[in-house]
Formats: sequence, C-alpha cells, structure tokens
Amino acid sequence: MTGVSGKKKILIIEDDSHIAEGLKLNLSLKGYDVLIAADGPAGLREWREWKPDLIVLDIMLPRIDGLSVLRSIRLEDERLPILILSAKSEHEYRVKGLSYGVDDYLSKPFNLEEFLLRVDRLVTRAAWSEGESPAGCLPEGSVYTFAGNTIDFVTFTANCRLGRVTLTEQEVKLLKLFIANRGKPLSRGELLEIGWGYTGSTSTRTVDNFIVRLRRYFEDNPRKPAFFRSLRSVGYVFDHDS
Amino acid sequence: MNRFKWFYHPVFIFIFSIVALAASLVLYVYWYIGVSTGLASIIKNYNLDPNQFFEVNTWVVVLVLSILVGIILIGVFVIFVYNQKTWQLYRLQRNFINNFTHELKTPVTSLKLYLDTFTKYDLPRSEQIKYVGYMIQDVERLLKNINRILDLARIESGNHWKEFVIMDLVNAVQKFYGNNADLFRNCEFKIHNLAGKPLHYPVNPQLFEMFLMNIMTNAVKYNESDNPSVDVRFIPRKKGLQIRFEDNGIGIEKSETKKIFRMFYRVGQADDTANGSGLGLYMARQIARIHKGEVTAESEGKGKGSVFALTLPMRGEVEG
Repeated sequence: MTGVSGKKKILIIEDDSHIAEGLKLNLSLKGYDVLIAADGPAGLREWREWKPDLIVLDIMLPRIDGLSVLRSIRLEDERLPILILSAKSEHEYRVKGLSYGVDDYLSKPFNLEEFLLRVDRLVTRAAWSEGESPAGCLPEGSVYTFAGNTIDFVTFTANCRLGRVTLTEQEVKLLKLFIANRGKPLSRGELLEIGWGYTGSTSTRTVDNFIVRLRRYFEDNPRKPAFFRSLRSVGYVFDHDS
Repeated sequence: MNRFKWFYHPVFIFIFSIVALAASLVLYVYWYIGVSTGLASIIKNYNLDPNQFFEVNTWVVVLVLSILVGIILIGVFVIFVYNQKTWQLYRLQRNFINNFTHELKTPVTSLKLYLDTFTKYDLPRSEQIKYVGYMIQDVERLLKNINRILDLARIESGNHWKEFVIMDLVNAVQKFYGNNADLFRNCEFKIHNLAGKPLHYPVNPQLFEMFLMNIMTNAVKYNESDNPSVDVRFIPRKKGLQIRFEDNGIGIEKSETKKIFRMFYRVGQADDTANGSGLGLYMARQIARIHKGEVTAESEGKGKGSVFALTLPMRGEVEG
C-alpha cells in the first residue's frame, strides 16, 4: 500500500484550504506522502485512485458530507484507518461517526501534537494487519442469507428465485448498504451519495432502476415487494424476518 | 420514557385544557339548572314567593359563565401561542449556535494549527511569510464573523439608520464588485441597466453594501456551476425601482423561497454541507425594510438558479 518512495500515504479531505495545508505541512514534515481533496466526490475519487493508507476526514464538506463519504468507503473497505477531524464536537456526532466505523474522532480546534501521535498510531496499527486476509464488511461473514436468498460477497453471486445470478459491483455495494441499514429507511439521495458517490443533483432514476433489478432477483412478487419496500416521499427500506 | 412524551407535548396539554374547560362549562350549566329546578319545586311545595329567589334569570347566569370561560380560553390560547413561539426561538437559537460556532471554530483551528507548527518547527523565512499570510486571512475571517453579529445587533436596534445618502445605485454595485473582486473570482459578473441612465436613490451606504455582500456572496457560495455567473438587472417600475440579482446557482425549492428569509433558517439542515450562519438573508430583508422596500426570492427549482429581487419604492427618487 505504500507509495513508490516507501512513504505512507495520507489523504486529507477538508474544504478549508488553510487547515488542509497546515495539516499537509505537518504530516509531510513527519515523513508522510500527503494529498488534499477539497470536497466529498474528490475525496472518494482520490481514495479509489491514490489508495491512501489513512484518511483524515472533515464532516462539513461541500457536495457530499463527510459521514456519507465514510459510509461509502466502509462499504468496500472496512480496514482503512479513518480519522474524523471536525468542528462538530457534540457527542451525537462522535457517536454517529463511530457507529459508521470511524477509527478516531478529534474535534477542532485540536492539539497538533495529539493529532500527529494519533495518526502515527493508526498507521502503525494498520501496518500490523496488512498481511492478513481482508475480512468483508459484514460481521456475519462473506455470505448473507434472508428468506431463502443467499448472497455471496466474495464471489459476487446470489442464489435466489431466478437461480444462480452474478451480481455487478454496483449491485453488491447497494446490497451491502441495505443490509448494513436493515430496517432503516434510506432516501434516494443517501443511496446515490453513499452507493455511487454522486451529488444530489444527479437523477435519482438510477437508484430506482437498481431497485427494480434487486426486486427481480430477490422478491417473490416484484410488483408487491416484501423486502425492498418503497416508502412514499422518503425512499427505500430493506427488511426481512430473521 | 419516550412512549409517554406526547403526554407532555404542549399541543396535547392545550387540547386537554380546552376540553376540560368546555366540560366544566357544560357541568356548571347542567348543575345550575338542576339546582334551580330543585329550588323551584321547593318554592312550589312551600308556597313561597318565587320572585324572592329568581331575581336573576337563568340565561344571564349562563351568559356570564360562558363569558368567563371564554376569557379563560383566550388566556390559555395566548399562553399556548407564546409558548410555541418561545420553543421556536429556542430551536432557532440552538441551530444558530451550532452553525455559527462552526464558522468561528474554522479560522481558530487554522490559527492554532499554524501557531503550534511554528512552535514545533523552525521553518524557512519564505514559508513563514506564506503561513503568516494565511493567519492574517484567518484573523480577518474571524473579524468578519464577529462584525456580522454586531451588524445584526445594530440592524435589530433600528433607529441608528437615519442617515440616507443619495447615490447612483448602478455605480454603487459596480464599485462593490470592484472592491470585492477576490470574492467573485471565476465568476462572470454583468450589470444590465434597463433605465440607461444613472439611478439616484437615497440609501444608507453601509447597509446597502451589507445587503450586496449578503446577496451576492450567496450567489457564488451556493453555486455548483462550472461557469458561475451573476447578472444584476436594474428595472425601473411604476412604483419604484427593482434590482434583480440573477445567478445560475443551485436554486431554491419553491416551498423554501419565503422561509429562507427567516432568522437562522438554513436550507437542508439535516445534512448541512455548506457553511453559513443563517443570518445573511434575514439581514438582507431587514435592510430592505429599513429602506421601505422589499426583497423576494424566485427560483425555477433546484439546480435552476435563483433570483433575488430588491424593490425600492418611488419615494425620494432623484432625477440624475
């Protein structure tokens, strides 16, 4: 995961250019390779392309907010250390961030020394487990079963009423998102932001088309869905009897 | 505990007290009639003079009772409305504190970060100068935020804005743009004067500038277009002058065009992505009012740009 120069890579997703540059300066002086992304979509793009070893994330970001960025990353990578650095210090935000899988949370204004030590520690810890096989994002393991349907997140296949089908990457992401939020309504905007990394202005029809596909795979009667239900003026909710 | 929360809800308490009051009125009347019929039969049985006891007619008693209950009802209603207003203000204030502390914390964080860095490392002079430049900008940002609060307090206090100066508004807008060009980088800015002549109006220069700052920075701030643009149109109307600020920004939902002028109101509070204090448009509206004018928002909907129109009355227009 380390760069060509052997340095560890840190991605800073922060919209305030002064803070971002100040962080970059300090992390560079500590020997890290640092990149700055100024908004949510740019952050997600750099995470995919540049493959950082750690992400420093702000919550109040333009276009896609930090918590959605975090959830989007966690759908695919459960292990990447992420540290939230936010002016939101209320415990509800800390709890929210931690429940979405952030590794550490610092509120602004912060102590520089503390920040650098936490970053060092997170990078070191991540290095220990680098060799191990990566686990899926679901605590139950790589296979999820509900109402006679089985989804395998390693082979990207599902056993459902249509028989054995191969799932696309996007379908798998969407399924993971629904499973992680079982019983909780997700708006089309949220699904787009987290599942696709789009901003709200993009057509939400994309989401609807994918839901149609998921229903065709898993619903006994796709016209009267029991698992992927629509909620009027809210979005969709996934749930099933256990 | 949550299941019983509705029990304490003001609307429930309000309805409950109205029902209780109405029930008590019915009971008063019912009992009164019961007692008076009883009394009437006693009078009849003992052959007493009815006029001795029934000087006041029944309907008068009912009327008086109803009026009293009516007064109590109005009282309850007034208390209810005030209570609701207090809660609304409390929520607004909390919202404001949350948003505004963010605005204050960001520059403070940046300042602290660079000061910590300077204590930790001995940076080359050229870099030091660059970062000190950042710090100066942060101090200015802080100052700007503090001034906004002070401005708001002054606007609210009202009476200090009697000094109106007659100036050419077209020129004023042009000058404002010139002085703040760094705020409108990468933004296309055009003035269209449909009158074709300078438009002299009495305005308070400080307030007018504050108005322009709030309206025009919004046009840039809430803009995701690749080529942001602001068009300022001066349109002489029968009743006065309209100045339209048209942008190609993110637009406003139809249902929000009125609400956005409320104090501390912010669009999309649930998942805030843009920074703001929720004061800018409120202040703009107050400023328009001080000038006896009006400011309204129009938009075709989300993503279709928005128009903020300032209408100033004819009163006091001076031919230039």
